[in-house]
Amino acid sequence: MPKRKLDPLPAAAFQILLSLADEELHGYGIMRQVEQQTNGRMRLGPGTLYSSIQGLEEEGLIEEVSRKSDTGSDAERRRFYRLTSSGRKLARAEAERLADLLRVARAKKILRGEYV
Amino acid sequence: MSEKIFAWLVRLYPAPFRWKYEVEALQLYRDRLRDERGTFLRMRLYCDLIFDALIGIPQAWRTSYGGPPISTAAAGNVSGLPSFHLLKDEPLRAGSVVVGSVFSIMALVAFGLVMRLPAPHRFSTAGGALSPVEAVLERLNRVVSPPTGTGASGDGSTSTVNGGSSQTSMPAKSGPSGSETAEKPLTVRQRDQVIRAAGENLSARYFDRQKAEAAVEKLRALRKQGAYQGIVDGTKLAERLTADIRSATGDSHLNVVYRRNVIPNAAPARPSAAEIESYRALLIAENCSLEKTEILPGNIGYLKFNSFPDLDACGASFQKAIARVAGADAVIFDLRDNTGGFPDTVAEVAAPLFDHMVPWYNPRETQSATTLLPARGSTLANTPVYILTSSHTLSGAEQFTYNLKMLKRATIVGETTGGGGHMGVFHRLDEHFGMGIPETKITNPYGKLDWDVVGVEPDVKVKEADALDAAEKLAAKRVGR
Repeated sequence: MPKRKLDPLPAAAFQILLSLADEELHGYGIMRQVEQQTNGRMRLGPGTLYSSIQGLEEEGLIEEVSRKSDTGSDAERRRFYRLTSSGRKLARAEAERLADLLRVARAKKILRGEYV
Repeated sequence: MSEKIFAWLVRLYPAPFRWKYEVEALQLYRDRLRDERGTFLRMRLYCDLIFDALIGIPQAWRTSYGGPPISTAAAGNVSGLPSFHLLKDEPLRAGSVVVGSVFSIMALVAFGLVMRLPAPHRFSTAGGALSPVEAVLERLNRVVSPPTGTGASGDGSTSTVNGGSSQTSMPAKSGPSGSETAEKPLTVRQRDQVIRAAGENLSARYFDRQKAEAAVEKLRALRKQGAYQGIVDGTKLAERLTADIRSATGDSHLNVVYRRNVIPNAAPARPSAAEIESYRALLIAENCSLEKTEILPGNIGYLKFNSFPDLDACGASFQKAIARVAGADAVIFDLRDNTGGFPDTVAEVAAPLFDHMVPWYNPRETQSATTLLPARGSTLANTPVYILTSSHTLSGAEQFTYNLKMLKRATIVGETTGGGGHMGVFHRLDEHFGMGIPETKITNPYGKLDWDVVGVEPDVKVKEADALDAAEKLAAKRVGR
């Protein structure tokens, strides 16, 4: 069975890429970060989160880093993830695609105002 | 949701996924459980988890199917030679088996449902003639009538349609026995005929001429408006006509009924003397439906009878039964399986319970005699009475129950009765339609709604099966033992 390519990039996957843009995070951190950057609209449950992470890992867009957490005692078990260069590239391409869309929307007078 | 449930949910994910992320997923769940406290946040968390499982599980199965592709380059492909690849060898996963079974069962159920639908057998063609296939379907759909009938056995001539109305001419004579014919869609002509006949019967027989005219007028107007157009189901037409007639007259005792069996044209012949004799013999052999006549512990009389049969045949049996409980401190009438009978018998059974004249409601009474004369020298006039009812307590048994309830002479224990009034005189409208019309005005001495359709409400509502116990307890308490 052909493996599913991340094309088009699902919203959850894109959000995960964005959440890892600044720092390495573990699963729960990603979930919190995504929640924050979408103003609480998107809360990734464990299933969606980890199957997205799995897909992104297999595509080489993010990778695992071994690192000790500074928070709790059960920290050894946590895996941290970071963006790879191709992941960053894809996130940028996706953002540009969305920006293009936004331009079109604005030209068609669907969107008014100054927000980008 | 406890962690156990969540851990079980995680098991639904594919094995490679679990192997890699199970611990982390559980950790994530624990983190959220720790951080999100309070009713609202918890509820939100659980909702999230349920939605997540619904979306995440299929997604995980989709994405984590094949492992990394096996590199074929290493084998050093020589062009022209057949190459041999080993695909990943995996046993069928439990999940696939489950999904496969669910789909198979759904397909089977769907097939079953489709097969239950009747074959559409009547297609209106321009010429009105049946195609050979339709003719066969037509014959298959027709319920086989007894071979003794001459015209109705489905020879070629009857199955041709002329002008779209084969039904009216079909069973020209199907015998007075009321042989069953197949349910067929009504034709326009048949429908109009029923509506017209209903109107004629109303204006000729209903006791209130003015209201009858109003109802007839309404039916006529509705028919002109096309309100009955498209009703091809006999039962539906009967219901619709009943509703319209009732709303025009305000009389809930008027009704139109549809019978699948052919309603014989002539009134049934009076039974011969021999028939009457054998009927009586049968009644007596069955002990006049008197199932039990007992004195229960605590000197409580108990009578169970399942009809109010003909007085001529059974008057003596009933008198004997009542005499048997005459010395009791309380009497229980068990009418749970009683489906009615003769109003005379109903009155006869009730009479010993009174020592003075009382009003008595009998909706079948054509004269205005609405009183009950007490039985002379009865010892039961002041004995507490309990009546056991069920949802299949009907007709005459309801009349008995209703009257004693209205007179506050008995305590009704059990379920609401069936609501079988069957009032009015039955008139035939055509082969399948009939109509009940009250021909005289009946006054209800209690000035209240009777049991027609709604039934008689018990004073003590208990399940049918528990009614005897409940009544026994009540009676024991009442007589103070």
